[in-house]
Amino acid sequence: MPIFRWEQSWNPLRDLEREVDRLIQGVEFSVQGIRIPRQYPAVNIFELDHEYLITAELPGMQVQDLELTIANSVLTLKGHRNPPVIDDGDIPEERFRRQERTFGEWQRSLSIPDRISEERLSAEFHEGILKIHLPKLEEELPRQIPVSSGE
Amino acid sequence: MNRQHSNEDQREISHPEQYVFTPPIDIYETDEGLVLYADLPGVSVGSLELQVQDNKLTLLGKVEPQIPEGAHPLHTEYEVGNFLRSFILSGEIVHSEIEAKLANGVLRIFLPKAPKAEPRRIQVNTG
Repeated sequence: MPIFRWEQSWNPLRDLEREVDRLIQGVEFSVQGIRIPRQYPAVNIFELDHEYLITAELPGMQVQDLELTIANSVLTLKGHRNPPVIDDGDIPEERFRRQERTFGEWQRSLSIPDRISEERLSAEFHEGILKIHLPKLEEELPRQIPVSSGE
Repeated sequence: MNRQHSNEDQREISHPEQYVFTPPIDIYETDEGLVLYADLPGVSVGSLELQVQDNKLTLLGKVEPQIPEGAHPLHTEYEVGNFLRSFILSGEIVHSEIEAKLANGVLRIFLPKAPKAEPRRIQVNTG
């Protein structure tokens, strides 16, 4: 029976970190001002009694522009964010006084442990925050074991 | 999507466990005024404070904890905190007609300019 190691099975950043480590080895850098290319969107992952919870900040997204798929224990988040328009047309560059927000298509895949009930996976999107609920399989939930007195 | 702007760069700690972030914004100008967009994920209408004092517009978006109590963080890529940013308004903005709308974590503020007085032709008569 294989021994399940949680730390290894769920670390979506592991490959990225390894890649960054590789890059850093060959480059001299000062710690200040280092900018590591980050995957979009950034995600947080939490464990609760009955489920795992993934959250991501996606301001300005519409529900219909979000796509979540799951296959072979890989959860893929995909979407696009449209820039603001004037009269259904693009805003001319020269009208902008500040431009700090980013737009376009994005995609991110996360490997999820196989102890998840994929059928009961659900997601909600409110105020620009995406929450994905990954319910644990029933057999993974803690179970009370009755203890008899032996008399 | 290449996210050139990273919130992390501007994040500063104001309290050991409380972050205050500077939200990324866009501002563009139209004939009628300025339109400002700010990304404020997690901010609701009830937790957003917009204030104009003198010629300074301040936005404060309070973000409630998004996670149920007892949740154990396994992996953290972003921090959650309040959003704060202020702007100096030019004299031509009509303060009393500023409009704001919040949808899907994005705030849109319309800052109308006072209509310019129509040029008046001055008749010059010959003496």
